[in-house]
Amino acid sequence: MIRKAKGFYETFDRKEPGTRATHYCPGCGHGIIHKLIGEAMAELGIQDRTVFVSPVGCAAFCFHYFDCGNVAGPHGRASAVATGITRSLPGKVVISYQGDGDLGAIGFNNAFQAANRGEHFACFFVNNSIYAMTGGQMAPTTMLGQKTTTTPFGRDPVKEGYPLKVCEILNQLEAPVFIERVSVSDTKRIMQARKAVRKALEIQRDGRGYAFVEFLSPCPTNWRMDAVASAQFVNEKMEKVFPLGNFRDRSAEPAPVAKAIPRLTVEELLDRGHEGGPAQVDHEFRERRFKFSGFGGQGVLSLGLVVAEAAGASGRFVSWLPSYGPEQRGGYASCSVVVSGKEVGSPTVDSPDVLVLMSQPAAEKFAMTVPDGGVVIYESSLPEPKVRPGVRVMGFPASRIAAEAGTPKAANTALLGALTALELHGLSEGKVLLALDASFAAKPALVERNRKVYQAAFDWARNNL
Amino acid sequence: MSTEKGTSRPIVDENECKGCGRCVAACPKKVLRLSGRINRRGYNSVEYVGEGCTGCATCFYNCPEPYALQVDDGRDAQ
Repeated sequence: MIRKAKGFYETFDRKEPGTRATHYCPGCGHGIIHKLIGEAMAELGIQDRTVFVSPVGCAAFCFHYFDCGNVAGPHGRASAVATGITRSLPGKVVISYQGDGDLGAIGFNNAFQAANRGEHFACFFVNNSIYAMTGGQMAPTTMLGQKTTTTPFGRDPVKEGYPLKVCEILNQLEAPVFIERVSVSDTKRIMQARKAVRKALEIQRDGRGYAFVEFLSPCPTNWRMDAVASAQFVNEKMEKVFPLGNFRDRSAEPAPVAKAIPRLTVEELLDRGHEGGPAQVDHEFRERRFKFSGFGGQGVLSLGLVVAEAAGASGRFVSWLPSYGPEQRGGYASCSVVVSGKEVGSPTVDSPDVLVLMSQPAAEKFAMTVPDGGVVIYESSLPEPKVRPGVRVMGFPASRIAAEAGTPKAANTALLGALTALELHGLSEGKVLLALDASFAAKPALVERNRKVYQAAFDWARNNL
Repeated sequence: MSTEKGTSRPIVDENECKGCGRCVAACPKKVLRLSGRINRRGYNSVEYVGEGCTGCATCFYNCPEPYALQVDDGRDAQ
């Protein structure tokens, strides 16, 4: 019987067709780890449903070697890519293979959060305590005193910090099922590594959760040693800092099951609670471009949304585009609404036909953007805004009307009444009221109160503007 | 399973070997050595001394190259 490598392509055609050598340096640990993974993948019968995520670093070419599904992740993102694959293709066996520069530095948070979520993939972490592909710079895992091209006098903890012990860090998390640190320095340790690889992939085969295996791996080239001396270095130096052993094995415990969530199709989501059918082309309808602006919390976004919903229910093409600061209350907020008889070209509104102003900063920002023939309605407790020639400006006491009608917070609804009374949106009152009512579907008590504000505002606008 | 003494052997692909010497150091029977021949990649490839292999596959697991070194353990596949 011949003992030979399994799980690999027959030839590695990256450099020249027909070659069967990897691109790794002589004595590198990657090839040994590759053989352990390939063998386990083939012998566990999971090769056809395995997706292997290559990192950036020396192992960036894994996809030239492993005969399975392959994806190459950006630098440090292999765990994030693996997360995406496990989420979108449940039932696949996913492997993230990452080095210490990739996982320990730029990609640490990706890997850490994936471990914390207990994503269903095996993360194989190759620690050679140095940035190898880029030429031997200090890595997060470089040991104290270790000389690299960027720590020529040895890593100094005062300047460069301490080596990152990833297994120990991940072992603080609840979710991982399996965490083990192994070495590929010599035969005994390789055999232990072989078991850990197999275990991590069995956990994936059975869909039991996140498995992490760290390999201490020699880098003869960047350590400036031969293969034998570098294996000794792993045993004598690295193991002191990164002790081998199993940190956790919960593979015998029942795997947690995620709570079921309702599944809706996109069509179901979009159709829910909406009136009317698809928009109808109507070249007679004059396109109307609105900007509603004020402070966050005044309901300017909601006001725009009611107009947009009413337009949609009326068979118009419509867009609604909000813009707001980070504050939940008190920051600036505005939304642009376009109601059209044909497809909306751009949802941004730089020169609104109708501008609604509910705050002083909004007035300062937008009043001069309204072109000749446009309309500005401002909350009349604010100073009258300066506008361009030919613009009609109307003060409207939205807050006072809302307060007098019993619902002080409904100034936005009052403005809706005024827009309808002034026939500024070109939509039927029936559709507007339906959209208004629908906006309070979750709070039925507010429907009547807003109707009352709307009516009072409508009447005031008809009589006074 | 039958074992015929003396039939197991390492199979080195001389042109894929990178001459790192890991197998030489790892072999418990010390039956591998660097050949002194430079292969077409420029490496001093490994060779079998010709006898003494037990088919343990220690060299196989220590070799970083998937296809440079295989081991015939001298047993028939079941």
